[in-house]
Amino acid sequence: MKSTRRDLFKFTGGAAVGALLSPAPWRLVTDTALWSETWPGVPRPATGEIGAKYTNCSMCPAGCAVRARTVNGQPVALMGVAEHPFSHGVLCPFGLAGHHLPYHPARLKQGPVAEAKAAAMEALAKCGKGERAAVLDLRPGRTASWTYRRALAQWTDAAYLAPPRTLGGVVAVNLAAAKIVLSFGAPVLDGWGTLGNAIAARDGFRLIQAETVESRTAVLADVWLPIRPGSEVALARAIAGLLRKEDNSSLQAAASQTGLREEQIVEVARELAANRPALVLDSQERSEILALNQLTGSLGRAIVTRRETPVPDSWKKAAAETELDAVADRSIRLLLIDESVPGAYVPWSAIERKLVADNPVVVAFAWSRGGYGRHARFVLPTAVYPEGVDDIPPAVDSPLAMFRLSNALVPAPAGVVNPAEFVAGLAGISASDALRERSDAIAKTGRGTLFTYADAKSARAKDVKPDDFWKALNQGACWMDDPPPRTEIPKLASRRATAPAAADDLPFAVVMADAYALPCSPILSKVYQESNLRLAANRAALHPSAAGDCGVKDGCRAMIETRSGKLEVLVTLDAAVPKGVVQLAAAASTLELFASSARAKVVRI
Amino acid sequence: MIGPNKNIRAARYGMTIDVDRCSGCGACMVACAVENNVPPANPKATDRTGLTWIRVYKIDNGLPYPETRSAFVPVLCQHCGNETPCVHVCPQQAVEVDPATGVVGEMPQRCLGCRYCVAACPYHARYFNWWDPKWPAGMEKTLNPDVTPRMRGVVEKCNFCHGRWHAAKQQAAADGKPDTEPVEYTPACAEACPTKAIRFGDLNDPASEPAQAAKNGESFRLLEKLDTGSKIYYRSKREWVRQIANAPHPAASGKESFHG
Amino acid sequence: MDKEFIARGVKRCSTGKFLLWIVPWAALLAFGLYAAALVLVKGLNQTNMDNRFAFGLWIFLDLTVIALGAGAFFTGFLLYILKIGELRAVINSAVVIGLVCYSGAVCVLAVDVGQPLRAWFTFWYPNVHSMLTEVTFCISCYLTVLAIEYVPIVLKNRKLREVPSFLVFEFELHKLIYVLAGVGTFLSFFHQGSLGGLYGVLRGRPFAFREGLAVWPSTFFLFILSAAAVGPSFVLLTTWLVEKISRKKLVKPEVFGLLGRISGLLLSVYVIAKTVDTLIWINRTSPESGFPAAQYYSWQPFGTWILFAEIGLLGLVPALMLLSPKLRAHTGWLVAAAAMACCGVALNRFVMTVQTLALPTLAFDRYLSYFPSWQEVGTFLAVVAFGVLVYSVSFRYFQLFPSERELKMQVK
Repeated sequence: MKSTRRDLFKFTGGAAVGALLSPAPWRLVTDTALWSETWPGVPRPATGEIGAKYTNCSMCPAGCAVRARTVNGQPVALMGVAEHPFSHGVLCPFGLAGHHLPYHPARLKQGPVAEAKAAAMEALAKCGKGERAAVLDLRPGRTASWTYRRALAQWTDAAYLAPPRTLGGVVAVNLAAAKIVLSFGAPVLDGWGTLGNAIAARDGFRLIQAETVESRTAVLADVWLPIRPGSEVALARAIAGLLRKEDNSSLQAAASQTGLREEQIVEVARELAANRPALVLDSQERSEILALNQLTGSLGRAIVTRRETPVPDSWKKAAAETELDAVADRSIRLLLIDESVPGAYVPWSAIERKLVADNPVVVAFAWSRGGYGRHARFVLPTAVYPEGVDDIPPAVDSPLAMFRLSNALVPAPAGVVNPAEFVAGLAGISASDALRERSDAIAKTGRGTLFTYADAKSARAKDVKPDDFWKALNQGACWMDDPPPRTEIPKLASRRATAPAAADDLPFAVVMADAYALPCSPILSKVYQESNLRLAANRAALHPSAAGDCGVKDGCRAMIETRSGKLEVLVTLDAAVPKGVVQLAAAASTLELFASSARAKVVRI
Repeated sequence: MIGPNKNIRAARYGMTIDVDRCSGCGACMVACAVENNVPPANPKATDRTGLTWIRVYKIDNGLPYPETRSAFVPVLCQHCGNETPCVHVCPQQAVEVDPATGVVGEMPQRCLGCRYCVAACPYHARYFNWWDPKWPAGMEKTLNPDVTPRMRGVVEKCNFCHGRWHAAKQQAAADGKPDTEPVEYTPACAEACPTKAIRFGDLNDPASEPAQAAKNGESFRLLEKLDTGSKIYYRSKREWVRQIANAPHPAASGKESFHG
Repeated sequence: MDKEFIARGVKRCSTGKFLLWIVPWAALLAFGLYAAALVLVKGLNQTNMDNRFAFGLWIFLDLTVIALGAGAFFTGFLLYILKIGELRAVINSAVVIGLVCYSGAVCVLAVDVGQPLRAWFTFWYPNVHSMLTEVTFCISCYLTVLAIEYVPIVLKNRKLREVPSFLVFEFELHKLIYVLAGVGTFLSFFHQGSLGGLYGVLRGRPFAFREGLAVWPSTFFLFILSAAAVGPSFVLLTTWLVEKISRKKLVKPEVFGLLGRISGLLLSVYVIAKTVDTLIWINRTSPESGFPAAQYYSWQPFGTWILFAEIGLLGLVPALMLLSPKLRAHTGWLVAAAAMACCGVALNRFVMTVQTLALPTLAFDRYLSYFPSWQEVGTFLAVVAFGVLVYSVSFRYFQLFPSERELKMQVK
């Protein structure tokens, strides 16, 4: 039969009606919405095989154990290792986003390596009488630190400098042994030691927090003593007097300086005496305050001597640690600063004094600009947390020595430099196998336990062959020392007290919030910018009455002026900050400014 | 979404948050952002235009220094179970309550961006993408493949880590468990909380911590009088904390009482 | 130059003068379109709205112009359904105002949403429980009705009338006018009410939440009442303004009085209803949600003065003024009362949108303030300019006021 045009129309018409009665055209209509759902510019996460990698977080000396969830080998999320006997699976907010650091917008990837090397060699050659090379190591105790010390031993008079510390090196803290903790501003529960350890030990001690502004630790403490800024030493003296059962002269002075009532101070002393061992901590490690530990029974129990993590015997010929203050002024010709891992901040003004007047060579090893990179002649890029292989010294609150590696979860960019190898190269010693050598040295002692993360198993180190020991460390593990055969009562180093700031007429006392704020992932904007949970480095918190006194408003720009300089900030009005106090975040920019003076003026811009 | 299978044993996922244990560290906020591909803030963003699916607020007892005492309260979507305010108001059904889990889910792909739900939520738990999301170069490699990144102009909020629930369901299926049983999983915030102040569980399971907290007289929910059927039970031994959870106490009028 | 387009028997200013009037409004429109384009291209971060102030200037203006544009449906209802013949004098003008208000509101809404391309989702996946779905449907339909009602006005233009098919079309369309008026009233009833319902159903915002009848909160009915009350006032106001600007008499004076009386009557009913509703809200609804009402007004600057201003000064007072025949007889008092009534309704919309969002719900919330950005103000000004331009063109070329010719001859 012949099909006509009419048939064709009938067919088309019928098909159209039929199609409308089917889901097809309606699905197509809704599918046009896809164009609005996949917008160009919104990234699509890569899919692939889900796996796990283990490492330790090197963002601070706690070195918490980390399990990384990986997609095709790329870490996409970090979490703790729950079974870890010390960190108990806890990570702090900074550590949780550590895997973002390689992509930080301020990340350095290139640097003048050859020029820096040439300048360094030249400076070494030029070193005259009374002049020296020096290394400033912001996180001492690492294998890299030993490399610096060994390198510096090759040169005359070279100085190995590290931020001064009383606790955290040979002398460590055992929180689990303390029955009561009196903390002068040390953020025990928020960045002081190992977070997981502090929280696990918390139910075992009573916490008294003495500080001006109620910090996160103070909120969770059993008692918060709201003391006026600068009155910590007076309070410690009064307590010492009470513990020694001496006369009350210092008690009255302390009450008037701190703003506390005499009964409150007496009560604190009574509690310390009744709950021995009582641990006393200070965020600034002032000798007069830490000395209280001698009266509270904590030495040898809550404050212990810690054996050093073993090193190969051949390393023992190494420069000793020198304090910056002990170095003569204008004597450092070559200064190499390792700030590849965050550590305590040494103000540049203290360092600058020690440099020779004519053309000192300062090389800073950093993963981002912003720290000493602002002052150094050369800034050489280094690997950053999940890229670099480095070891993490044991934290201040670990009574036993530890050895753990921060493994490379992702490759580092091509232009980065390993600071230890650079310095070793200058001195003509070899350092590329240093970590392996140390691992072997530890394994050979037969001491301690090795805890591997992947299978959450512990093994005695003496049962593990050195090769397997090294392999385990590289795949995520932690070596913990055995308790020493006999307890040595530690001696607390006496540090020279910094000269008290000249009595100033500036109206505000400066108080620092939070521990030294770590350089961290941009995602931390959640706590710094998209909420007011943590005080950002560019913000200053004032009592709302300051609005009247200084004419500032919430969110306005202002200048914080001190005798040493000024800093532009954004103002936050916070009723929790007492009147007459300005609270700043502890960051390189603020610590630089408030090195010598603790008083400031606030001027609206 | 479940089909008409009546044999499914529905879960009602909820949380108990111990305000006395919250240190205000913000680990939950960071872990949530990492898990759910929430972008870092635009340089111009403030705390009123940010994306913080869970947000920790600082509250205090209203007394002047030195009698001030503070506490931290994490606030996230309360997954209201009673006439959920946001579900009722969305003009295009981009929000729904999943009967199998009790989770209030948001479909950013269908959201028009009218922000009616943002106005309707008394807990301010809904967040609008005021900017196009932008990650620093290379950081897109760290995105979680289980969660779709959103675009500008749509609303997003906590969904009790739906990606993790999905993964748990798939794992249960792979393990041969019956499909009709609820699965156990932990959202990112509860997993990350260092003090374990946030605990997650099935309110229909009497042994779970949230279910026990719900029966506990010390527990309270935010804005209870609104009767939203919130599934987040807060706990605190301090009376002033419990009082703040309910209607706003008239702070000194005219003054912006600032916190968190 | 364009005299052939201007109706016979009425006088309009010269083309040059007209252009002089148009140009600044066109410039304002261009500026406003630029502001809107910025928002569409760069995103809503161009505004000062945020997660706490999810709605701002635009929503407040949308609600206000839709309330003011209610004159269109209400005048149509009164004229075609209730057969109040005097209103024929202003019906065309009311339709144009309505068209301008509604189309402006819809354009602003398109800019206000985060994903304008998904606007059709509301029609595709409608949520029967949501007031906003209802608003979207009704406003879209009503805009169509208004456009259809506007067509005859356009087609009656002197030049266009010469096209026979236009004339026939217009004639046929006019037969449907009663249907259109009825449909328009029905749709308006619902969307004016739903706009009120938008806020009345918010259980999470006890400041706005109201009890009501079945699924409709009291604000549903209050918004309808206030819109119906203020519609005639706004028509009165605009007619008086156009008379002043064009220096012509456009309607008989009795029409003003009639509009005023209708407005006054409805406004009085509204004030009574609103007062009862407010008392119930203060004494029962709000406390039951755990929010004592007095506390809302403890946050400056919105003290109790705003409540009294809305219901008393800008509600009861204009109602009484409009009801009094002596005051109605004076144009000055009449216009002032109409203006106050319009302001009162605008204040009511402001209170429902902006004040609701400013007030804290959680105890640790802050009281917040918001000020629109220039892009938001610019977009609003574009709507105003658009309205003036459309109205000006309509006034010049179409016969908005049937009585104009008659009054002109009377003057002569």
